[in-house]
Amino acid sequence: MSRTALLDEVLRALLRRHLTDAEVYVKRGRSRRLERTPVTETASISQERAWAVRAGNRRGSFFAAATGDLTPGEPWPEPIAGQSLELPEPAEVPAWTVPSDFDTPLIGEREGLRLLESLGRELENELPGARTLRAALEDGSSEAELANSRGLRASTRHRIATLYIEAAGPGSPAPTASLYVATREPRRFHPTALARRLADRLAVSASGAAPERDSGEFLLAPIVVAHLLAGILPLLVGPGPGARLLGARGRFGSDRVTLIDNGRLPGGASESPVDGEGVATREVVLVEDGIFRQPLLAWWQEGAADGEPSGCTRRAGWRDLPLPGPTHLYLKPELRTSVASLLGSVAQGYYLIDVTGPGRFDLAADRFSLPVCGFAVQSGRASAPVAGSLLSGAIGAFLKGVVGVGRDLTFHPLDGMIGSPTVLAIGLELLGGGSA
Amino acid sequence: MPFSKLDTAAVARTLSQIAEQPEDVVDAFFERREEVELQEPGALRVWREEGFAVRLAREGRTWLATRDAVEPKPFAEALRQAARVLPSATYPEPMLEVAPPGPIAAPELLDFPGVLSRAVRAHHVGFPLRVAVRRHRRWVQVVGPRWVPAAESETFYSCSAESSWGRYGALLPRLDAAAAADIAEAVVALFRARQAHPPAPFHGPAVLAPAAVAVLLHEAVAHALEADTLAQGGNPEAAVGVAMAASCLDVLDDPAAAPEGVRRTTDDEGTPVVRRWLLRGGVVEQPLADALWALTSPVLLPGAGRRGTRHLPPGPRSSHLEILPGEAGEADLFAGSDEGLFLPEASRGALDPLSGEFVLHLPMARRFRRGALAGTVGPCVLRGRVADLLTRVVAVGNEVKPAGAGWCAKGGLKLPVWATAPALRLEGVEIAP
Repeated sequence: MSRTALLDEVLRALLRRHLTDAEVYVKRGRSRRLERTPVTETASISQERAWAVRAGNRRGSFFAAATGDLTPGEPWPEPIAGQSLELPEPAEVPAWTVPSDFDTPLIGEREGLRLLESLGRELENELPGARTLRAALEDGSSEAELANSRGLRASTRHRIATLYIEAAGPGSPAPTASLYVATREPRRFHPTALARRLADRLAVSASGAAPERDSGEFLLAPIVVAHLLAGILPLLVGPGPGARLLGARGRFGSDRVTLIDNGRLPGGASESPVDGEGVATREVVLVEDGIFRQPLLAWWQEGAADGEPSGCTRRAGWRDLPLPGPTHLYLKPELRTSVASLLGSVAQGYYLIDVTGPGRFDLAADRFSLPVCGFAVQSGRASAPVAGSLLSGAIGAFLKGVVGVGRDLTFHPLDGMIGSPTVLAIGLELLGGGSA
Repeated sequence: MPFSKLDTAAVARTLSQIAEQPEDVVDAFFERREEVELQEPGALRVWREEGFAVRLAREGRTWLATRDAVEPKPFAEALRQAARVLPSATYPEPMLEVAPPGPIAAPELLDFPGVLSRAVRAHHVGFPLRVAVRRHRRWVQVVGPRWVPAAESETFYSCSAESSWGRYGALLPRLDAAAAADIAEAVVALFRARQAHPPAPFHGPAVLAPAAVAVLLHEAVAHALEADTLAQGGNPEAAVGVAMAASCLDVLDDPAAAPEGVRRTTDDEGTPVVRRWLLRGGVVEQPLADALWALTSPVLLPGAGRRGTRHLPPGPRSSHLEILPGEAGEADLFAGSDEGLFLPEASRGALDPLSGEFVLHLPMARRFRRGALAGTVGPCVLRGRVADLLTRVVAVGNEVKPAGAGWCAKGGLKLPVWATAPALRLEGVEIAP
């Protein structure tokens, strides 16, 4: 039986049980995982085969998922009264070409281990005495098919590679730092650039100090802004809450702030023509030149807030319920502005290069604090390392205080892929008390 | 038992073909997992998975091949992928019969939100609470080339209760009225502390209730004494004999004494578990080790290998921490004229293995003075270095209780951990907002 015929047969079997609304999702995937520590080396290869079914009627519903092959005669659970199931109608999906790198083979064992080895070497070159404590590379690809009782049919493919590195610097006690990055194809990881980023962070952590309390101009590296954007996602996803930060005439940020989510971003790590429910993805401008246009809305949230819905429902895995969230949410870069020119424009302030721990975001009180490290800057030049500090302020003030945006857009795997270029902001404070 | 009909002898014979060297560690790990979640109002989620992993470890290198099905052909393929024989050999396909899964039903979940709601109202308060309750079941069969331990199984529950002023989560061996009463007490305490301000930076005595002790010692003792964590700073066996804590502190890891339902006789590598003295009289006696770390030193005993999933290799982790009781009664713990802080719960903790710096996050606390509890303070953080903090324990409570069960997520391995602990009094600790 073909996969499509199987999905139809399962839908019919569910209908025979009076489960009039149903969705069937099947997924196959494969991944290679390579890990190195100073004393161990691990190479894993996994093959995944799983399915998920949501089914219900007006009275109740269930979500069931399992590994192995789906059969129409599965022992379905009894729906629990309370929540009915709503499913999207079929709609036209704009043409999309499968990117060529979806078909490249998974990274080989030796190639992957060499990449991890070279990261260690590069780190040692950048900062003598530094060492990797743990480096893990994962490369995976998957295909999925989806069918629902409304007649929607969709197929998706994904390809993603992630790299996690923990490193220690020289000295005692040794400073530590970690980074986690994602891309579609692991051969795009650049060991020298990653090692440099870790070495900068380790060097700053080892020698930096926190100011008592200071303000000024803040040049924020893409990773710092990405964490800030991830912290305010509840304001941008779903109906309602975004209005909380609106100032006069719907202003959400300075006119340098344009926020976009795009599930089919070309080259994006999660690029796909449809979302986890088979709804077409598209570019949605959430904030344009500082003006709040609309929140990110799933199809079932249409009408709950101004704005057009888009395919923004994600499945974290086959075990998970599809939920709305950003796919590639990013601050639009200004292509003519280099990071060097932004740094050169800082008379007195800080260049914050990395995040050193989880942030705190109190959206109701409009406050945030984020542990960071970087450099103090005087007249466009780094004057002293800074570590153990908290970047702090009002969320609204941060967005409205953006005075410059660079061109170096980079994405980080946070809650979805969150992207930003380097940003120059005012109206924030740097306090002591963050983790080094 | 899903694996009772598995032809383990045939699997063992096949595995012996890829164990070429005497020190090779080779095993097959079969697992079935099942989780049922009920989230109010009326959202039911069930998932079930089964599969296996074939592992070959040799001289610090590990090869792992995993599949999401227990079937002969994928098993032979996985063997070929894990084996280091060149050119690739073809392996026989052993019969792998597993019992089919039955219908998934967990009627005991349905009543629990109501029982919890009544337990909250018994405190004469009422507030909206979003409750999710889950049943977790797991069956495990390990097969080695020369040994086949008995299959193991685990069943436990987890519950999260979320209100406007915080989330409380707990792991439970049973879903009963006592479990509901404990959760209700914790969420009511969060409710009553909702407007409490964090304390000003504080230096002085602190009394940790058993639940907070369990989180403290999970981070500061169990994680610190895992062989892989110790290896980040040097040779793991060098830790043995180090005085790490006050002499009144005895800490063990004993998976066989865990609550019924999660009690184990073998670990996730099929090695018999041991009653392991992590600290005896405050001195390190036996770090946590799995089969591979035990090969590196005669000082390290295996039996603490745990797998968060078949897709990742096992690692040395604690299962059930046991802190032995002392002699201090409640009055002794709260004695003295200095003002102190009573810490009933810890929401999470973290340890930097290299620096030994430790952080314990506390959702609320209560002041005490001259033996009596006083006002409530809001969220705060206890910080310190492990080596310093554990020497500040001056009294160990004389009453132990099951406490501090929770999820540990170190290194991507999400594992349930359990504890039995008394209260502790520490002097001169730093607590900040």
